[in-house]
Amino acid sequence: MMIIMHPGAPRAQIDAVIAEIEKQKLSSHPIFGVEQTIIGAVGDGHYVAKEIFEAFPGVMEVQRISKPYKLASRQFHEQDSAFQLDGFSIGGVEIPIIAGPCSVESRAQILEIAQAVKEGGANALRGGVFKPRTSPYAFQGLGEEGLEYMVEAREKTGLPIVAEVMAVSQIKMMEKYVDVFQLGARNMQNFNLLRAIGETRTPVLFKRGMSATIEEFLMASEYIISGGNTRVMLCERGIRTFETSTRNTTDINAFPVLKKMTHLPVIIDPSHSTGDSDYVAAVAKAGVAAGADGIIVEVHPDPAHAVSDGKQSLRPEAFAKMVKQVRAVAEAVDRRLVIGKL
Amino acid sequence: MMIIMQANATPQQVEHVIEHIKAAGLAVHLSQGLEATIIGAIGETHNLPMEQFEGLDGVDIVQRITQPYKLASRQFHPEDSLIPVDGFHVGGDEIAIIAGPCSVESRSQIIETAIAVKEAGASALRGGVFKPRTSPYSFQGLGEEGLEYLAEARAQTGLPIVAEIMSQVQVDLMVKYVDVLQVGARNMQNFNLLRVIGETRTAVLLKRGMSATVEELLMSAEYILAGGNARVMLCERGIRTFETSTRNTTDINAIPVLKKLTHLPVILDPSHATGHVDYVAAIARAAIAAGADGLIIEVHPDPAHAVSDGKQSLRPEAFAAMVKQVGQIAQIMGRKLAAAEAYQPLKQGWA
Repeated sequence: MMIIMHPGAPRAQIDAVIAEIEKQKLSSHPIFGVEQTIIGAVGDGHYVAKEIFEAFPGVMEVQRISKPYKLASRQFHEQDSAFQLDGFSIGGVEIPIIAGPCSVESRAQILEIAQAVKEGGANALRGGVFKPRTSPYAFQGLGEEGLEYMVEAREKTGLPIVAEVMAVSQIKMMEKYVDVFQLGARNMQNFNLLRAIGETRTPVLFKRGMSATIEEFLMASEYIISGGNTRVMLCERGIRTFETSTRNTTDINAFPVLKKMTHLPVIIDPSHSTGDSDYVAAVAKAGVAAGADGIIVEVHPDPAHAVSDGKQSLRPEAFAKMVKQVRAVAEAVDRRLVIGKL
Repeated sequence: MMIIMQANATPQQVEHVIEHIKAAGLAVHLSQGLEATIIGAIGETHNLPMEQFEGLDGVDIVQRITQPYKLASRQFHPEDSLIPVDGFHVGGDEIAIIAGPCSVESRSQIIETAIAVKEAGASALRGGVFKPRTSPYSFQGLGEEGLEYLAEARAQTGLPIVAEIMSQVQVDLMVKYVDVLQVGARNMQNFNLLRVIGETRTAVLLKRGMSATVEELLMSAEYILAGGNARVMLCERGIRTFETSTRNTTDINAIPVLKKLTHLPVILDPSHATGHVDYVAAIARAAIAAGADGLIIEVHPDPAHAVSDGKQSLRPEAFAAMVKQVGQIAQIMGRKLAAAEAYQPLKQGWA
């Protein structure tokens, strides 16, 4: 950490900062310039908040040199993290595709979609049973009943299931059913929920908040990993910008940035990041070309009558076509789609 | 255009709006709802400002149905536009790769870079001679001297040249030298400049402003097209967002969105869109996978000593590696990289 003092900060203020650095078990390296003094704080600074120093009198600016996260960082864990799910691995050479409806609407609907996405090339089934809807009057999900339908879909198709957990109180019940917990964008900084998920040993699909920086995203993932649950995959699902022609703006830069900063797998959600089925395939391909480790995509047999996210849901035929295109892009970047379970 | 009246609008206010619509030569379609009255204005409304109706008493919201641009729209021109540049076409099967330094710094620098990017597979040479630098104390460009060096680099390599124009007063000078006029992000809404460029018949690379929506970009393109210069290529170069780990945020969505809304070719600039050499190749690949028609890339033989944009400039070797990767993506998209020497004039005329 570099602590830059105001020009003309008196010696007493400088000494007070140095004393605090040593109190934090770091060593201090002051550089006395002509106009300003800069104090380096050297040591394991991950756990030291820069706010501590910002509040000291005479301090102009505090710059972090070490990252404010550790377990998630590539410095700490140089190799890509890869982990197994039922039938495939994520984070290695294979690019899994998770597909399904935004919401589980009925037994028939989820069974039909599971079969269709399986045939189209999906490796896992998504489906929301607790829905964080912007309006409290919109459909809120089927709850445990929906999970039972998903389990039935898994039995019929062999696809592992991914569903969103919205509250600490749902964890115990959901753990019995799902293969992967999804943490939604609106809960990226629900720290109590992150800690509780960190206590479980169920893999997590962790979505970036819609106004979260990459650094904030990695710090949030650190909450889960530090609890001992290391099977975290990150998901870019678009950020909020001034652009109005799409629901969100896909931060495609996040792929090479995250691959540099962290060892965790990174997947793309082109359905939410564009909000329009016309753009999903192009952005899915772009994600894989940029280095994404997987795709999560919304599929519905009758998007016009979907209870949620119809506009961005692909029909099964369009999904199958997208998978073909993504397969070619994956091969062009020396990856491949999952070779199906025997 | 749909004009939604306030819930408590009076019949006189509704009548007044209707008179305005009729005066603009449009047909009126009135629907009287339980809570609000909605008035549809039907006809050629793309050149009618919404503001005209927003200011009338009793009006709540004005919604445009037709796009506010016409010549740039795909409705007007369903086929992709092919833009001929000396040596190749932009907008068809060929993927154009424009490469070169941020700034022309010296004769030897631009000639060395031109030869290097040509060998690596570039189809055109970029180089700034008038530089819109954030600080007025930064290097401002070599001006006409730089254009002469660019022309010499073109003579040696055969690469057409792309250089930024910053002001109307530079137009006559620049059209003598360059194959493509670049309009920078900071000038996307310099409407006087756009109009003057519309009067020329030199191809244009129009960069999206860093806080411009896709619709605003297309309206700026319309300024140039309306002057009769149809050779416009659009360029996504990253937008300003809250994210701080990159210089800008590449709006990759803009590629499929623009390909749907317009017939004009779309180029991506991963150098500015990321601001960091480590990320350029990944974003270049993503652009082509998303459907971009070309790339513009900053390349410098010695980035550490570049007078501008060193952090985002690829060394020639890294550029060559990127071109190979992009070529593989282009191939699976059913496209190929443009090469200046493979140029064959099109048989059919270009509209």
